[in-house]
Amino acid sequence: MNKFVDRPRFSCALGGALFTLRALTRAIPIIHASAGCGYNLYTAGNAGAGYLGGGYCGGTGWSSSNVVEREVVFGGSDRLSEQIRSTLELIDGDLFVVVTGCMVEMIGDDIGSVLDEFANEDVPVIAVSTPSFKGNSCDGYDMLLGGLFSDYVRRDAEKRTDTVNLLGLVPGQDAFYKGNLTEIRRLLERLGLRVNTFFGEGETLENLKNASEASLNIVLSDVYGVGAAGVFEKTHGTPYISLPLPVGAVQTSQFLREAADALNLPRDAVERVIKDEEARYYDYLERIADIYNDVDLQRYAVVVGDLNYAPAVSRFVADELGWLPRLAVVTDDLDEGEIRRVEKRFTGWESDVSPLVRFDTDTSSVRRYLQEAWRPGNNERYYDSLSPLFLIGSVFERDLAASLGVPLLTVSFPVTNRIVLNQSYAGYKGGLGLTSDLLSTLIAGR
Amino acid sequence: MAEIRQIAIYGKGGIGKSTTTQNLTAGLTELGRKVLVVGCDPKADSTRLLLGSLAQRTVLDSMRETGDNVTLESIMKVGYQGIKCVESGGPEPGVGCAGRGIITSIGLLERLGAYTEELNFVFYDVLGDVVCGGFAMPIREGKAKEIYIVASGEMMALYAANNIAKGIQRYALKGGVRLGGIICNSRNVDREIELLRAFSEELGTQLIYFVPRDNIVQHAEIRRKTVLEFKPDSSQAEEYRKLAKRIDENTHFVIPKPMTQERLEAILLQYGLMDILDNYKI
Repeated sequence: MNKFVDRPRFSCALGGALFTLRALTRAIPIIHASAGCGYNLYTAGNAGAGYLGGGYCGGTGWSSSNVVEREVVFGGSDRLSEQIRSTLELIDGDLFVVVTGCMVEMIGDDIGSVLDEFANEDVPVIAVSTPSFKGNSCDGYDMLLGGLFSDYVRRDAEKRTDTVNLLGLVPGQDAFYKGNLTEIRRLLERLGLRVNTFFGEGETLENLKNASEASLNIVLSDVYGVGAAGVFEKTHGTPYISLPLPVGAVQTSQFLREAADALNLPRDAVERVIKDEEARYYDYLERIADIYNDVDLQRYAVVVGDLNYAPAVSRFVADELGWLPRLAVVTDDLDEGEIRRVEKRFTGWESDVSPLVRFDTDTSSVRRYLQEAWRPGNNERYYDSLSPLFLIGSVFERDLAASLGVPLLTVSFPVTNRIVLNQSYAGYKGGLGLTSDLLSTLIAGR
Repeated sequence: MAEIRQIAIYGKGGIGKSTTTQNLTAGLTELGRKVLVVGCDPKADSTRLLLGSLAQRTVLDSMRETGDNVTLESIMKVGYQGIKCVESGGPEPGVGCAGRGIITSIGLLERLGAYTEELNFVFYDVLGDVVCGGFAMPIREGKAKEIYIVASGEMMALYAANNIAKGIQRYALKGGVRLGGIICNSRNVDREIELLRAFSEELGTQLIYFVPRDNIVQHAEIRRKTVLEFKPDSSQAEEYRKLAKRIDENTHFVIPKPMTQERLEAILLQYGLMDILDNYKI
């Protein structure tokens, strides 16, 4: 979080925690921070996530202690206590979570002792420390889930071998989180598993509370959710595996095999599911064989996105659409170990294509890397240009796309130019959805 | 109209900053100077000897009770020889941010117009070490330009003084703040004056005054008085008058050159330990 020069693609830890709570049914955040934190984070997070909205008692209605100078000097405990009390009185929720902003963390408010006053309430009130000087929205997701896993999830649950939890998709940061979780859950359920995603369709806080029944946590990311999964393992003894977000048939079939192996599920049953899913998938995909060849829909591609999307989408367009991704820019601020984990996701593809991979948080760097990935023309008579090209990124790539005169599809935060509802880019259905979105852009003029 | 000399007094906790400041300012009034003392310690005990009591309401107390409707009269008390006294105050121990409290209260004092033209001196009596940005507030741009560090021959006092010099250096390089000297508040340790002279020289400053140890200070404090008020004829009162005169006439202001830990320990070894191997009496 210390390297950004221009246009960061993440909000802060508090923002990540707030949108994670927004995605949990009837969980009510109480923001202990300065006035403005909640509003700013809501407006940024809402639009950036394809207009996710505030949800039940959320958004601009978020409860906030709005500390001012008086609380900074004398401590904000009394103000917080008052705010929790009034929130409990006014808002009908099933779980109240105090999340903290930078200022109260700087002055070291003792939130724990304030919460002691609320230990005997009818509904649980817990607190999670989410100072944004400790990380970005994805770290905030990890902090919040870590706190919930420690303080809310049942400790006495019996393990069930058929139950898993899904982690790694950060609500809001991934504008398509709900559609994605729904699809991955559907597939895992076809393997005979019970799946908690916490934020998926029809799920309630009961799914979270009983998450300790799970015998495995599947983290759909190389980084996001890994910290929380570690807390879970320590607190509830459930191990985790980290697998990349699968987009399309190739990656999803691989994902199902790896997940099934980790759970020791019988391979032939898994293969039957994969065969059936692929049959349905290719039944749709083969429809475009004619148009793809008739008008030549093959493209070079530049993919800009977070560490979940950049490798998955690059691989998808290479392995399944026959495109030629030349550059992938991963926009997270990562340490060496994390970079190595993410880099691996750009290797071993079926297509044997390998784009130039760069890690950079700055939006303006993409243009520079493009010149590195493809030698710019020098007014030669014959110049092999990077054309036709398709740009897959966020709305921050709009200027670049316009200057290059190439189409853009936004898949990575911020996605302010789309209304995102139940769309998914994960799994088999997500692969079809992404194909449809990409190719529709190309034939929009027909 | 001469510019108000704004002076900050720093030093290790318990070294005698408040006692020295109050006796020193009492001495300055005898030279006809008009003085304001701003206590920058959450304990709010920097003006006790001048007021004959603890200040009833600190700046921050008033702010907490009345918001921004604080009046100067409610927070500024006039004490011994017309010395104006203000206590910044602060949060209860263990909560809030005392550093921000200092920033808030100094800002408020300026807004309320506490720094009137007839003043010759404003003294900021700052607690302990320069632990954070807030406690450096008195020496930031536009505030105190002179600093004196109260120290003694004890090792930890000199460690603290050297550390404070680092803070001063940081602000001195950007603004106009300068170190005016080291005031030794004697603890009667071996070769104290030589040690303090060597230490001051190494810092690039002067030992501006050596205040000897005298129990009369404790007697005066118990009676909530400065020595100058309690026993004006005593030799200790005379010492404080001389200190006041030295400060009043001081023109030697420098950017300090804080030393490395090794160098500091070498000086301590040279002056603090030699020839005393068989004598541990204090």
